Amino acid sequence: MVVTARPATPAETRDADVRRRPLRRRTRWIGLGFAALPLAVYGLVVLVPLAQSVQYSFYKWDGVSASTFVGLDNYRSFVTDPVLRSTLGHVLVLIGFFALLPIVLGLLSAALLTRAKQPGMAVYRWIFFLPQVMTSVVIALVFKRIYAPDGPLNTALRAVGLDSLAKTWLGDFTWALPALGLIGTWVTFGFCMVLFISGTSAIAPELYEAARIDGAGPVREFFAVTLPGLRGQLAVALTLTITAALRTFDLVWITTHGGPGTSTLTPAVALYKAAFQNPQVGLAAAIGVVMAALCLVIAVVITRVSERD
Amino acid sequence: MISKVERTVNYVVLTILAVVVLFPVGTFVVAALSPDRSGKPVGVGDFAWGNFSTAWHDAGFARAMTVSMIIAVCVVAGQVLLALLGGYAFGVLGVVGDKVLFPIVLLGMMISLEAIIVPLYYQFRTFGLTNTLPGIILVHLGMGVPFGIFWMRAAFRALPRSAFESAELDGAGALRMLRSMAAPMARPAIYTLILLSFMWTWNDYFLSLVFLHGENQTATVALGVFQGRYVTQINLMAAGGLIVAAPVLVLYVAFQRKFISGMLAGAIKE
Repeated sequence: MVVTARPATPAETRDADVRRRPLRRRTRWIGLGFAALPLAVYGLVVLVPLAQSVQYSFYKWDGVSASTFVGLDNYRSFVTDPVLRSTLGHVLVLIGFFALLPIVLGLLSAALLTRAKQPGMAVYRWIFFLPQVMTSVVIALVFKRIYAPDGPLNTALRAVGLDSLAKTWLGDFTWALPALGLIGTWVTFGFCMVLFISGTSAIAPELYEAARIDGAGPVREFFAVTLPGLRGQLAVALTLTITAALRTFDLVWITTHGGPGTSTLTPAVALYKAAFQNPQVGLAAAIGVVMAALCLVIAVVITRVSERD
Repeated sequence: MISKVERTVNYVVLTILAVVVLFPVGTFVVAALSPDRSGKPVGVGDFAWGNFSTAWHDAGFARAMTVSMIIAVCVVAGQVLLALLGGYAFGVLGVVGDKVLFPIVLLGMMISLEAIIVPLYYQFRTFGLTNTLPGIILVHLGMGVPFGIFWMRAAFRALPRSAFESAELDGAGALRMLRSMAAPMARPAIYTLILLSFMWTWNDYFLSLVFLHGENQTATVALGVFQGRYVTQINLMAAGGLIVAAPVLVLYVAFQRKFISGMLAGAIKE
């Protein structure tokens, strides 16, 4: 999946160098010296805690007193605890909004927009990418206001006579989760779109000409040429957006804290509460391990599928 | 080669989508400038620019923005240094055991903060590193190493091999080659890394929320606290939001190409 220019494999170049100058062999040890500092920081901050997360997850610990070994109990909570189990259901809903909807919208717009370069495209790209660079806290505040009881959304609904539909969107047991999901749609769809548009412009024009000569209409053309041509971009978009949905924290924490009730609780919010509010540290670690494992599985599966045949 | 109709349709579609993106941000900006507590839109003449200074003082943003800036600058400097060292080692010199080490580094790009935050917090607490700036800077740096190495390694490998060979014939050592040749030649990639690293660090909320409190809280966390206290004063809350978003937005306006190409290229990595 790593896309980099690859003029010669290091082994080839090295062999050539070694033949010319025996000293060249030593650079790999010098290289290790150069890499030592970054590797040490990485190991200390990421790898060691990762191993400890797994270790913690087998214990029951309140963060202060002595811990007790409980085996797989913390993992079993995902099945036995209905609240924790519900977070996975919420993630599925969020995936619909964070991943599927933006990708469908992005594909539609990429298909709709002809591949010819148009003046002014840079301005549009700037706009579509804007949500990607905005602080999540600010995005949360922007939408908290949109969804507020007297916010623009309800005002608009009342203006067109749909008063009965106006509600406290983020305080509603049914609507809070979809309302949060739509924020995710807003954040990711521009990214997907720019990704797909840049992907379609890389598809060989001959493929489109050939499809047209075969008498393909715009729909057939889309399924026969555009979609297969975007396979790599689709894999990237799916991986990024699904993991974003799985990891949602900032948006929920600032807007609803997981409420009303537990109707918008996500695994990351459950982790934060378990780790730092009413410490069940082992459970929090188990949630983290499960999230990491899911991210990894999702990434691997999507890559495998996208690289098949 | 494309007809006028097609072109018009394209612009209509693009404009509708652009409005969808800009509308929420627009209402927020309007609210920030409103003298009314509820953020009701007002004419240009009635813009309450004073909202920004009121929010600035009430939320203690001076302190929080300074903290955020210190963290971001240290992280950017540290991350570039680590990325240069690691990228140069893996991309140019070769590393003993890189067949094992490099995949482990790449794996790091997939490990989310959630997987490590719990032990990280409790271990750092033992060493008295929670609620300190060096502590959180260290975490940011460690999390940033995989992308940094990946990014600079690709940049160094894209440089012409011949340049390294002739520098070597001149008897340049590994460090001098990095300092006087490789790093200057890879400057565009370094600039992108600086921008992305600054954005990621500045925009962070989760890590700051867990690690820093009170005096040490960052701008994003301070904003979260501020909005909780000023639920009824939408205009001040919006003004505060714009203050916190401003540094990255200014960079985005100035270097949009680098941001977009960097994030697209960075995304393809995974």
